[in-house]
Amino acid sequence: MKGITHFVSGLAVATFFPKAVCMASRGGIVEGAESSFILVLGALYGIMPDTLDFKFGQFFSLPDYDIDCDPIHPDPQKMAESMGKAMEEAFEKDKLVKVQLYPMQLGSDLWRQYVIKFDGENNEVVIILNEIVSTSQVPFEGTAPKENRVGRYKLKSGKMLETHGRPSAVDIMSGPQFGFQKFGEHVLVEFLPWHRTWSHSYVLGFFLSLPVFAITYFFNLTNWYLYGLIAFLGFATHITEDLSGHMGGSLLWPFIKKRYNGFCLARASDPRLNFSVIYLSVTIILFNIDRFTVNVIPLPWYKYYFFFFVIPIILFLIFAEIFGVKTQIKEGLIGVDEILKQARVSNAAAIDELNSEEESIIE
Amino acid sequence: MTLFLTILVYTLGGTIVGSFISFLPSLHIYNVAGIALLIWGSMADILPEIAMIPFFTSLIVAFAFLNSIPMTLFSAADESASAIILPGTKNLLLGKGYETVIMSGIGSLVGVLFLVVGTPFFYKIMPYINNIVRPNLAWILLTVVAYMLMSEWPKGAGYGKTVWQKFSGAWANLFAGIASFLLAGLLGILIISKSIVTHQMAFQNIMPVFIGLFAIPSMIQNLLITYKIPKQFVPKETIDLDGKTLVLSSYQGCISGFISGYVPLITAGIGGIIAGAATALRGDKIFIIGGGVAKVIYYVGSFLFLFVITGLSPYGFAKGGLNIILKPYFSPQDNDYFLILSIIVLSGCVSFLMLMWLAKVAVKVLQKINFKLMYVVMLVLIVIFIYSLTGLNGIFVMIVSTCIGTIPVFYHCRRSNLMAVLLFPIILNMAGYGEKIADFLGLIKF
Repeated sequence: MKGITHFVSGLAVATFFPKAVCMASRGGIVEGAESSFILVLGALYGIMPDTLDFKFGQFFSLPDYDIDCDPIHPDPQKMAESMGKAMEEAFEKDKLVKVQLYPMQLGSDLWRQYVIKFDGENNEVVIILNEIVSTSQVPFEGTAPKENRVGRYKLKSGKMLETHGRPSAVDIMSGPQFGFQKFGEHVLVEFLPWHRTWSHSYVLGFFLSLPVFAITYFFNLTNWYLYGLIAFLGFATHITEDLSGHMGGSLLWPFIKKRYNGFCLARASDPRLNFSVIYLSVTIILFNIDRFTVNVIPLPWYKYYFFFFVIPIILFLIFAEIFGVKTQIKEGLIGVDEILKQARVSNAAAIDELNSEEESIIE
Repeated sequence: MTLFLTILVYTLGGTIVGSFISFLPSLHIYNVAGIALLIWGSMADILPEIAMIPFFTSLIVAFAFLNSIPMTLFSAADESASAIILPGTKNLLLGKGYETVIMSGIGSLVGVLFLVVGTPFFYKIMPYINNIVRPNLAWILLTVVAYMLMSEWPKGAGYGKTVWQKFSGAWANLFAGIASFLLAGLLGILIISKSIVTHQMAFQNIMPVFIGLFAIPSMIQNLLITYKIPKQFVPKETIDLDGKTLVLSSYQGCISGFISGYVPLITAGIGGIIAGAATALRGDKIFIIGGGVAKVIYYVGSFLFLFVITGLSPYGFAKGGLNIILKPYFSPQDNDYFLILSIIVLSGCVSFLMLMWLAKVAVKVLQKINFKLMYVVMLVLIVIFIYSLTGLNGIFVMIVSTCIGTIPVFYHCRRSNLMAVLLFPIILNMAGYGEKIADFLGLIKF
C-alpha cells in the first residue's frame, strides 16, 4: 500500500488506546490530558518499514553491474546482453548477482522510457525502447525509435524463472534493481531484491520499539509502556497490511530470512483500496477520539460507521467505477503488449505490481 | 444608497481591485489586505461599515482566481534549476500558458460550487468534527509535519560505486528539505518569541519573513532564466479539457482544499501533497485544475467558516490571514453566512470573467515586457515596501529569510517545508513547550 495509507492506519491503531487518546488531548479537556505526542508514534512507525527500504536499505544493496545506457544513442541489444550475462554468471557461479538499471534522462523534463521483459517461455531477456516521456510520465507520441528498438538475449545456461511475469518500465528519476540467483536448474529473477526483506519483519519492529520503551521509562513519562507499544503496533500494522498484496515480506527476519508471499487480495497501488483504507482510518480516528474525550457524536457505533463509512464508501466505489478511478497504467506501457507481440515475446498484462508500488512510494 | 446596492458595489469594487492586485507578481493578498485595512481605517468616516466584509471577501476571492496569472505566466524555472518543472511552467514553455490559467480558473469555479453545495455539511457535520479535532490540534499538526518530512523520497537515481556515493547523491534533496524545515522553524521561534519589528507594525511582523522565504527566491530564480518564453497560444473557442478530467481533478482538489481550508497552518500546497497521495491520481491537468479548486477553498472557504455559527460552533471555525486581519473589526452574526456565500458566488463569477480578460492581456504583455527588468523593478519595490513598513530590522529579517528560502529552490526539495516558520513554533506553543524552548534559546526570561 501507499506510504500515506500505512501512515494513517498506524495512527488509527494508536487511537484504540483510551489512555493514549486522553494523553494526546490539550490539557484541561479530559482527565490525563497533557498534549502528548504519543499518537504520532503510531503514524511514524507505520511508515517506517518503507522509509528504511527506500531511504536507507536500497543504497546498501550495491549492484554487481550497472546498466547505465547513453540516452542519446541507446543500444537495447547491449543492455539485454549485459542483463543476460549477469543471469548466466549467477547460474554458473551459484551466487546472487545484482544489476542496477538507470533512467535515460534527455532533459530537465524529458526521459526515454524503456521496458524490460524476462521472457520465460523463450528464455530471453528483452529490452524495448519506448517513447520519450515527461516527468509526469506522459509519452510524446511518435518519439519511439524507428529502428534498433528491441534488444534480446537468449540465456546460454540456466532456465529463467520469472516470479512476476510482467514487463517493468523504467522512465523517470530512478531505475529498479534486479537480483539473479540460482534456484535448482533455474535462475530466479527477483525484482527490487532489497525491498520488503529485513525491514518488513515483526522482529525488527519489536527491536525498533525497544528504544521508545527505554527512553519513555528513563524520563519517567506517564504510561511509559504505551509509547513503545503504539510504536510497535504501527510498525506491525504496516507489515500486516502489505500481506494483502502479492509480495508479502520477511516477517520473521533475522530468524527466518525468506520473503513470504502476500495473500494477493489487491494491488498495492490500487487507489480505491488505498483511499478506502485511509477513509476508514480517518473515521476510526474521529470516533475513537470522540468516545475517549469530548463525546459529542450522538450516535451509537454501528449507526456512526453505517452513515459515515459504509454509505460514503459505497458512493465512492460507484464514483470510482463511473469515472475510472483505478490503478493507472503508465501511458507508455499501454502499447507495450503490441510491441512484445511484434518482437515475438510471450505476452502478459503490462502492469507490474512491484513496479507500481515503488512508484506509489516515490510519488 | 440602499444596503443591497452598497454590498453589490463594494463586492464588485473588491473583485476589480483584487483582480488588478493579483495580476502583479510576488504580491500576496494578505500583505495587501493588511495595508488596505490601514487605509480603510483612515477613511472610516467616508466608507460605510457594512461595506468592509463584502470588499475584503471579494478581494480574496479575486486573488484565489487570478493569482494563477502571475504564477503561470510570469514565472519560469531555469532549464538547470530543477529536475521537476511544475506543470504550469511546463505548459508555459510549450506555449500553453493561457490554457493553463483558464483551467485553473475553471477549477476555482468548482471550488466556489463546493462551498455552495457543501453548506449542509459545513453546518451539520463540521461543527462535530471541529469539536473533536480542536483539542487535538497540536499532535494533528505534528502528524502532518511528520508526514511532510517522511514522505519526501530520494529524487536521484543513487549513482555511485560505494554506499556513501549512492546515499549522499540520492539524499541531497532530503537533507536540503530537512535543513530548510529546521532553519525555517528556528526562524519562526525567533520571530514569534522576539519580534524585531516595531509594535506599531506588529500586524506585519511575519510579512518580511514570508516575502523572504517565498517571493524573493522565486524572483531570483526567474532572474536566472536563460531562455525566452515562447509565444502563447490563445484558443478562439474552447480549451482542451474533458468532463472526466474535470471531475477527477475536482475530487482531488476538494479533498486538498478541505484539508487546507480547515486545518490551521496547513497551506494549499501541503493539502495538495496529502490529497495527491491519498487519491493517487496523476496528470498535469489534474494538478492544475485541482490546484484551482483547492485555492478557493483554502483562501475563501477558510474565511467563510467564520460564519458557520451553530450551537457547537458559536464562533465558527475559521482560519487564515483574512480571518486574523478582519476578526477584530466585526463580530459575525447568525445569518451572515448566506450573505457572504452570495458575495463569494458573485465575486467568483466576475473574477472568472476578469481572469479570461486579464490572461489575454498578460499573454500580450509577456511578448513585449522585459521579463528580467520587471523582476528587478518588483524586487526594488518590495525592498522599499518592506523598509517603509518595518525599517532596517525588517530588511534584515527578509535577507535571512531569503537565504533559507533559496534552499528548496536550488536543491529541489519541497518549498512547503518552509511553512515550518509558523508550524514549528505554533505546535510547540499548543503543546505547551513554546516558552520553555524560547527560554532555552535565551529569547525570553521568566
